[in-house]
Amino acid sequence: MCKDFILSICIIVCSQSLVYCQSSAGWKEEVNVYNKIYDAPITMVSGKKTSINTLAETKPLIIALVFTRCYGICTPLLLQLKESLPYKHDERKYEVLVVSFDSRDKLKDMQRLRNQLQLNANSNWKFAITDSISRLVASVGFNPVWHEKIKQFEHDALLVGVNSQGYISKKLIGLRSENDLSMMISSINNIFTPTYRLPGKSAMLSCFNYNPVTGKNTPGIGLLLIALPAILSMLVLIVINKLVHRKEEI
Amino acid sequence: MHYSILLFFLIVAVISISVFVYVFLTSKQSDNNTTGMANPLQKRFWFILILLVILGIFASVTIPKSPYYLFADEQPKAVVHVAAMQFNFFMSDSAIDPKMPKGEDSITFNTNELVEFRVTSLDVNHGFAIYNASNKLIAQTQAMPGYVNRLRFKFKEPGTYHIFCLEYCGMAHQLMRTTFTVK
Amino acid sequence: MTSRLKKITSLWITTVLLLFVISIILGITMRFNQAEVIRLSPITFYTDMTVHGLTMIGIWFVAGMAAVNFIMERYVKTSKFVNILALVLTVVGVLMFWASTFIGKFHAGWTFLYPLPFKVMWSAWATPLFLYSLAVLAVGWLIWCISLIAAMLKKYSITQVFAWQYFKKGPKEETPPFILISMITLVGIVTCLITAIVLVVLLFAEYYSKGTFVNDALLMKNLTYFFGHAIANEMLYLGLAVIYEMFAEISGRPKWKTTWYVSLAWNCTLFFILTAFFHHLYMDFVQPEGLQILGQLASYLASLPAAGVTVFSIVVAVYRTKINWTLANLLFFIGVMGWVVGGLGAVIDATISNNFVLHNTLWVPAHFHTYNAMGNVLFSLGFFYWFSVNFSNSRHSEKLSALKLFLLIVGGIGFLAAFYIGGADSIPRRYSNYPAEFVHAKTLALIGGVFASIYLIGILIFFVNITRRCVKILFSQSA
Ligand code: HEM
Ligand SMILES: [Cu+2]
Repeated sequence: MCKDFILSICIIVCSQSLVYCQSSAGWKEEVNVYNKIYDAPITMVSGKKTSINTLAETKPLIIALVFTRCYGICTPLLLQLKESLPYKHDERKYEVLVVSFDSRDKLKDMQRLRNQLQLNANSNWKFAITDSISRLVASVGFNPVWHEKIKQFEHDALLVGVNSQGYISKKLIGLRSENDLSMMISSINNIFTPTYRLPGKSAMLSCFNYNPVTGKNTPGIGLLLIALPAILSMLVLIVINKLVHRKEEI
Repeated sequence: MHYSILLFFLIVAVISISVFVYVFLTSKQSDNNTTGMANPLQKRFWFILILLVILGIFASVTIPKSPYYLFADEQPKAVVHVAAMQFNFFMSDSAIDPKMPKGEDSITFNTNELVEFRVTSLDVNHGFAIYNASNKLIAQTQAMPGYVNRLRFKFKEPGTYHIFCLEYCGMAHQLMRTTFTVK
Repeated sequence: MTSRLKKITSLWITTVLLLFVISIILGITMRFNQAEVIRLSPITFYTDMTVHGLTMIGIWFVAGMAAVNFIMERYVKTSKFVNILALVLTVVGVLMFWASTFIGKFHAGWTFLYPLPFKVMWSAWATPLFLYSLAVLAVGWLIWCISLIAAMLKKYSITQVFAWQYFKKGPKEETPPFILISMITLVGIVTCLITAIVLVVLLFAEYYSKGTFVNDALLMKNLTYFFGHAIANEMLYLGLAVIYEMFAEISGRPKWKTTWYVSLAWNCTLFFILTAFFHHLYMDFVQPEGLQILGQLASYLASLPAAGVTVFSIVVAVYRTKINWTLANLLFFIGVMGWVVGGLGAVIDATISNNFVLHNTLWVPAHFHTYNAMGNVLFSLGFFYWFSVNFSNSRHSEKLSALKLFLLIVGGIGFLAAFYIGGADSIPRRYSNYPAEFVHAKTLALIGGVFASIYLIGILIFFVNITRRCVKILFSQSA
């Protein structure tokens, strides 16, 4: 009886919280990792011409691929990036490069985007367009699909980490936690983490959440479950002791 | 490495057994006049201290050799994605789609280049154990669903290397294997 | 001492020995299949392996519990009802488990590592039946442990039962070593049984939620080995509790007395044994490094108090001391020796850099069989022998003693050597058949099987002698 009851509570609580973490794009993040990114020539909003590798050499890059006419994920992606990055992270360790993958985007469109995001004054954010869109997107395993009816691309929210040697060291798909962003910044600075979780599985009961900023794992709910039996058995001991001696008094 | 572990074990085992046998013989030989210890559970500070020191030395020598620190500050020359699945290993230079897992037919590395294996599993826990050309286990990690383990290694000798599954995964566990070449 | 308790204990002994003989036969079958002397389908092999592993763990655990329960009656009053209840639930649990394996062909190994039980390669009903059998066993044993703990707490205060008064100068009360060790061990067992229940609940949650609830593989692995490691170690400590009480008595020596450092050592054990299990996850790089290193240190330290103190005590108790040697205390003495050797093998494997090339090779069964088949089993056999001779009014028959010991030792060493050499040869554990690359594997399996059969003959002689006397106790009018 009692066990069934606890069981059903468990199931309800767990299934409720799991609805949030459904996604199956995990493996796509592995695609093209450790390949060289295509060294696309780019034109920055300032009008300066350069290339991705030249930029990366001075500072490792986080590249966001977007298009300005997007009704969907592009703006939230950039906004979230803008909100999460300034905290905790050392600006010397990365630079953000926002590149359009839509050939209709011109420099002035990118300029407008920068204004919208109020990033004019931030020199750590670069906005650019390129002539070799198809080779660039192919080299990072990104496949936007054009829908003529709605005049929109269907695409993932993608961040690509590029280290100063021009290798793709990590990719993140979707709006991701600060932890994952931190892990990306570690990876573009060539800091080795022996392991990582794939997104899309239950993260609720995991034992540890790795925090690359401090290089430490913080305990998750799972760890509590490991410690629980030890705590419970101490409680059992105390309760028995109480019960046994109460009987004596009566 | 492998036989020296066995040898070390044999030596310490024989020493301990000899102590027991010797002690047993002293008991057999003693006559009724010997009193023995009234309570064997008495202080033996020195014995525990010596054991502690030996174990401490052992720990401080071996811990730095743990596999988690292997080649952590080098850039790998080759990266191989490994997806284990009952009862197969898929290995590929590019990432592996769990819905349509596909591997390459043959994988080759050069000697002494740093290789990184990114090991995961698509179903149950598996093992990913690398055996050298003389069939000795030289490196391993686990393949756990939902996680990627990164194993870095340099192969010194050319030849055919085997991979066996070392975590029991069901009825064809003993058949789960693959190979790669080092040239 | 009541005759009821003697009868229950005789029943336990008979049950354990019967199941032991069956499980050894399964073990030998596995070895001969690996040698390709006989040919089983892999499913049959892995079913055998699952049955062998869990049954062995189960019986030597209850053997230790039954012995501790019997001796504890000298100090406090224990519940005969709970003792019987535990026996009934154990038998029911084992029968359910056997049904799920022998009939349902469930074969996820005794550690049933998540998510293997859900990759159904057997009858669909076998998974829930297996989980229910675990629940029955865990609940039955939990009740038993709690009842023994309660019995001790009725007489001794918490301070006294953990022997904390020895940390002050001039302790007024005494704690018998047997009570101290039983208490420490039982608390550890309660923790590990609660873990088993958490594990089973999580598995049921996933099973009945039909895919809406998914467990985390790393958490489940941690829980599995917390439970598996702890129970395998604690059952040895039950045997040690018996030795602390009986060795001196059988040898005709004064009783052992607790001292402050014995108390300290065993109190530490409680902690180390619960953290040492991390050594099962060394090759899971996802586990944080800190825990891996904690695992190595705790594994080393766990050997200090329990082994350092107990082994040394036995050795100095025997050194140049006139002892009344009987089969019982010889078995204790040899058992401690086997335990030491197995422990050395374990410490080697618990070193991360060695584990890198030994994990899940035959080295693993090598060392745990050493301290089980040549350690814990001998502790319990010593107790069984003493008990059956003492209470059945039969005369000591020391005739076969030398032969029995000879068979056990020779058979045991040969059987274990084949495992150790296989481990150094990198031969994987849990392989129903060996790939051609492992050239010595089959020969070693054959040698192991033959020597295990010698060991079995020794056990059979024990089985016949001891059960005959136990049956006598069972049907005697008074005692
Ligand atoms: C002489 C008697 C015994 C024989 C012949 C024997 C034989 C075997 C064999 C062949 C295996 C499989 C090894 C492999 O992984 O390839 C095994 C596994 C095992 N044995 Fe024994 N064994 C004996 C005694 C014991 C005892 C006394 C215990 C007590 C706890 C025990 C517990 C286990 C366990 C827990 C496993 C692991 C099962 C698994 O991997 O799921 N065995 N044994
Ligand atoms: Cu496998």
